[in-house]
Formats: sequence, C-alpha cells, structure tokens
Amino acid sequence: MGKIFRISLTLIVVAVAGIAGHWIWSHYLYSPWTRDGRVRAEIITIAPDVSGWVNQLNVKDNQIVSKGDVLFTVDDTRYKATIAELNAKAESQKLAWELAKHKYKRRIGLTNDNLVSKETFDEAFINTELARTSYELAQAQLNTAQIDLARTQIHAPENGTLINLSLRNGNYVSKGNSVFSLVKQDSLYITGYFEETKIPLVHIGQNADVSLMSGGHVLHGKVTSIGKAIANTNVTTNGQLLPQIGQTFNWVRLSQRIPVDIQLDSIPKDIELSVGMTVSIQLQTDK
Amino acid sequence: MLKELAFDGLLFSPLIIFIPLAFLLSCITRLVLYQTGLYHKLWREAWFEVGLFICYLALVIYLLGS
Repeated sequence: MGKIFRISLTLIVVAVAGIAGHWIWSHYLYSPWTRDGRVRAEIITIAPDVSGWVNQLNVKDNQIVSKGDVLFTVDDTRYKATIAELNAKAESQKLAWELAKHKYKRRIGLTNDNLVSKETFDEAFINTELARTSYELAQAQLNTAQIDLARTQIHAPENGTLINLSLRNGNYVSKGNSVFSLVKQDSLYITGYFEETKIPLVHIGQNADVSLMSGGHVLHGKVTSIGKAIANTNVTTNGQLLPQIGQTFNWVRLSQRIPVDIQLDSIPKDIELSVGMTVSIQLQTDK
Repeated sequence: MLKELAFDGLLFSPLIIFIPLAFLLSCITRLVLYQTGLYHKLWREAWFEVGLFICYLALVIYLLGS
C-alpha cells in the first residue's frame, strides 16, 4: 500500500470527522426542538356581576359544566326589594305624569278663553314633559334593577371544567371579583419556548411532534403563531425609577426564548391532558 | 431529533445511547482491521480512530435521531 494512500486515508477520515462533528453541533444547536413546552388552554375567570352572599352553590371543584348551567346564585333579597321600591317609584312617577297631563289639558282650554297667561300655559307644558322624563328615568332604573336581579344567577359562559373552586355557601362575593376559573372545553394547546437561535427554523403551519413527559403517544400538531414580544429585564426600574441594567457576561450570551403556539390536531381519548403539563416539542423540518 | 429519554421522570440526553453505539461500531471496525492486519499499515492510527468514531457518531445520530 502506497504511503500517499495511507496518509490520505487518515487525512480523509479526519476531514470527514470534522465535517460530521460540525454537523452534529449545528444539528444540536439549530434543530427546532425544545424540552420546555407546556400544555395551555383558554381560561375563563368567573366573577359575579352583583355582590352578596352565595346562597346556592350547584357545582363542585373540577366539575364539567355546559354552557348556560347555573353555577351558583347570589342572595337576591336585596335586589327584589330594590325592584319593589323602583316599581312603586315608577308607579308614582306615572301618576305624577298623569296629573301634569291633566293640568296641561285644562290649561289648553283656559288659554283658548284667554283666562291664563301664556307663561302659565308654557309652564304646564314643561311640567308635563318633566313628569314624563321622570317616569322614563324611573322605568330605566327599574330595568337596571331587573338586570341585577337576573345576574344573581351566575351561568357558565362556555362548556368546560371548573378549576380552583373554593367557594362555599354563605361566602360573600363582590361584584367583579373572580371566584374560580373555567377551562374551556377543547381549547387545549401547547406553547413551546424556543431559543432565539432556533426561531429562523420555525414557521407557521409547520408540523410538530409533541411528547409528554409521562411518555406514551406522540401527539401531532401545527405551529399556529410565533410570539412577537417578550419582556426585556433591562427596562424595569427600581423604587427610585432608575433602570435596572443587568450585569455583563462578556463572551457568554444567553439566548432568549420565544413562545411558539402549537395547535394539536387531535387528542387521543386515553390521554389525560392537564393544563401546565410539561412536553417536549420537535418541529419537523422539510429537509 | 435528539429527543431526550425519560426514565422515571428523569430526562437523559439521547447521547447516552448514541455514544456507546458509535463506540461499539468503532470497536468492531478496529477488531476487523486487526484481524486483517490492516491496522498497522494505517498512518497515525489514533487520528484515524478518533475520526472514525466521530463519523460513526454522526451516522448513528442521523439514522436514529430523527
């Protein structure tokens, strides 16, 4: 065997090894995969639109509910009383309006006979209008009170599962304060946090293989969106409104991670997916 | 590609399988070269072996990693 052949054989193997090593490195660094994916879902927070005691709680924690189900009711005694009060007020305003109309009609006759001044006549007309608007105002207030009464029943806004229900009968709930949340049915999706070096290899519509930490099936999905913004820690300020600039790590640059949303094609029935679970994501490259 | 291996909730790099595989292939090649007597004819055997190991590793990752 010629010496040139022996030398070149080793050199070729070393050169190929160099190329292969580079390929392994870039494969590891630039292939679009991440170990840090999470299962997410559309969460609806349920808050009553009226304040009061909870007097009937129809649901349990983690219960599956359908859209429109009554979740709980707030004590409506006060709202019923308000309606009675406003009913009476509306009735009284109506009578006041009738009275004003009656007076006005009488003034028309008197004005024709020139028995009262133009001013008195105008006053009677304006009083009628005033009484009418007072009546309309009372009606509107009654209507608002009826909305409040209707909202003492809190309905499920969507199909889904209730989460973190620690509400009990007798608790006082305040208007606008969330009391538990609802995971919307069939709204599960995956968010993967990809290093920015891998983002050029990610595009919308790309097929994704999602594997759960618990193993089992590999789920399939598609990239639906790539996050367009993440927070920059250098712009936060301290108590004196001075910017908090991070220290430098010369030669060490940490890559940021960008959230990428993935919609699952279908979820097998035998998989129990919970929001927050850890998944690994591998995006398929066309090459 | 380079999917991690989960054992009882602990995640391991897939290289703990790929590297022994590549090493095994290197050993086989070396054995064959010894048997045929070609080994001693190589120029800088150590360079050759290291290079071959990396080539095998890349091959294993290419074949099993995806």
